[in-house]
Amino acid sequence: MSSYLSLKGINKSYGDFVALDDVNLEIKKGEFVTFLGPSGSGKTTTLMIIAGFEKATRGEVEIEGLSLAGLDPQDRNIGIVFQNYALFPHKSAVENVYFPLQMRKVKRKEGMRRAEEMLELVGLKGFSHRHPKELSGGQQQRVALARALVFGPDLLLLDEPLGALDKNLREQMQIEIKRIQKKLGVTTIFVTHDQTEAMSMSDRIVIFSQGSIQQADAPLEIYHRPKTQFVADFIGESNLLAGKVVDAASGTLSSPVLGDCTYSGDHQPAVENGQDVTIVLRPENLRISRDPIEGRMNGKMKIETIVNYGDNALVIGLSGGVPIRVRVLGADVVILSEGDECCFSWDEDAIFLVAE
Amino acid sequence: MNTLMRVIAYAVIIFIAAPLVIVVPMSLSTASSLQFPPPGYWLGYYASYFSDPGWLRPTWNSIVIASATTVLTMILVVPAAFALVRHKFWGKGVANLMLMMPMAVPHIVMAVGYYSVFGQMRLVHTHLGVILAHTCLSVPITFLVLSANLKGFDRTLERAARSLGASPLQTFGHVTLPILRPGLLISALFAFIQSFDETVVAIFISGRDAETLPRKMFDSIRQEADPVIAVISSLLFLIVAIALIAPHVVSALRGRFTTKGQEKALIAQ
Repeated sequence: MSSYLSLKGINKSYGDFVALDDVNLEIKKGEFVTFLGPSGSGKTTTLMIIAGFEKATRGEVEIEGLSLAGLDPQDRNIGIVFQNYALFPHKSAVENVYFPLQMRKVKRKEGMRRAEEMLELVGLKGFSHRHPKELSGGQQQRVALARALVFGPDLLLLDEPLGALDKNLREQMQIEIKRIQKKLGVTTIFVTHDQTEAMSMSDRIVIFSQGSIQQADAPLEIYHRPKTQFVADFIGESNLLAGKVVDAASGTLSSPVLGDCTYSGDHQPAVENGQDVTIVLRPENLRISRDPIEGRMNGKMKIETIVNYGDNALVIGLSGGVPIRVRVLGADVVILSEGDECCFSWDEDAIFLVAE
Repeated sequence: MNTLMRVIAYAVIIFIAAPLVIVVPMSLSTASSLQFPPPGYWLGYYASYFSDPGWLRPTWNSIVIASATTVLTMILVVPAAFALVRHKFWGKGVANLMLMMPMAVPHIVMAVGYYSVFGQMRLVHTHLGVILAHTCLSVPITFLVLSANLKGFDRTLERAARSLGASPLQTFGHVTLPILRPGLLISALFAFIQSFDETVVAIFISGRDAETLPRKMFDSIRQEADPVIAVISSLLFLIVAIALIAPHVVSALRGRFTTKGQEKALIAQ
């Protein structure tokens, strides 16, 4: 992998508080990478260090092998879309977009033409002379995007840009941002705490927790093969169960809840016999039935709660005192009621181990 | 009850507004001293105000002193407001308190202080002396207005400008200053009014040479109750009324365009 942007051993501390602890990351040219994590996990701090607004206590940010250390924010050629858009209220849309060109000494006539073109690309043709307060949230977002892209930045940083928009508009903007990013081929880092957003937009997701990177992988890889318990818990819904490896070669384990069972060996982390592991079982990979299903591994549980979502339902039961979550299709749920004893079953493919 | 409340309300309004309004007919009066109601009307006292150097000189003094005070106050307050709003440093609390001091200390006390200290420094009876004293008195209100504006300023805008290629100086010129302009203008206006209106310190230290308009009016009313005072009061009242109403007229006119623009934005969605 030829890397374009490198974060090398980045540390950031404020007094005794460690905000970032040894962050290492390589990003390819043209890649769309999402920083995902709960608030305070260090994703925005990392972004601000890349942008030059915060100084790393230790470590280097490099673009194409050149360190950004000595460069002020204005010399880094990085486009940023801020959470609240940060449009200049005293300038019209087109003047906002022209601003970075003005700072780069582009002649007004040429600059305004390029600004107009960029506004057209983000779908705001005919709105160029509106001031920010005369534009809707989604339109302001597009102006901010145009402004961050018009000068051909080496890197585009988006800091939770969709947080303030309502659901429909947010989905529309996700598609828009992706379309524009692909068209221009600009390397992009997108910060969010919304995992569906991360899943649908990214080439790669970087999961942050407590100032360090937990995992950096493609969205489906993250979902199906979480490397740590935090990732398994944070991404999607999971049943996390304690277990012990019995025989790593044949793929057998024992668990207080699941009993003795087998797992498929593909893509599992390296484990040793007798090692304690966390078993990850996604609710949608479990099935529920009155009687044990042949050919699958089965467990028994008592249904505690059924939460209906219309097209599907979440069934939460207790098995040996441990809650088990099963996602079932809406049609299947009618045969069940709270208090019923039933079976839940899984394939050996459904089990994923996290060694910690 | 409702009627009673209304009567009280009108009584209060009249009580407060009457002295303001009463000077206008008095300024047009033919009487030889301040007198209400006027025995007859003419514009003679307006003519004598605009032709009497004894009145025009203090007017000019006041304009010069208030302008210089405004400039000096802004030079001191703008950096102070930025420093105190945006930065943390040792002694910040004390600095804040010192800036507010002139507002708390009675003007008469300060006037006596200036009279004795400026006397030794040969600053009494000079424009410079009055300007320095007025600047000190203008600082608190100017600082309050400006720092309130500065606290409401979204600093992400400055970060955005930096990320788009602007140096700190360019960011200040292209983003910070234009957005803060209304706040700066209002705080400057407060400094000007504070000085133009100030009487106590002016009586103590302005003397004959730097005599300000309020001081001249005060002297005049003690000696002869010259109706020109009513003329000046009417003119000042008129200027202030225009200054207060003008922004509303402008924003009302602007508002009409903006609302139209917003309607279009909504339709276009």
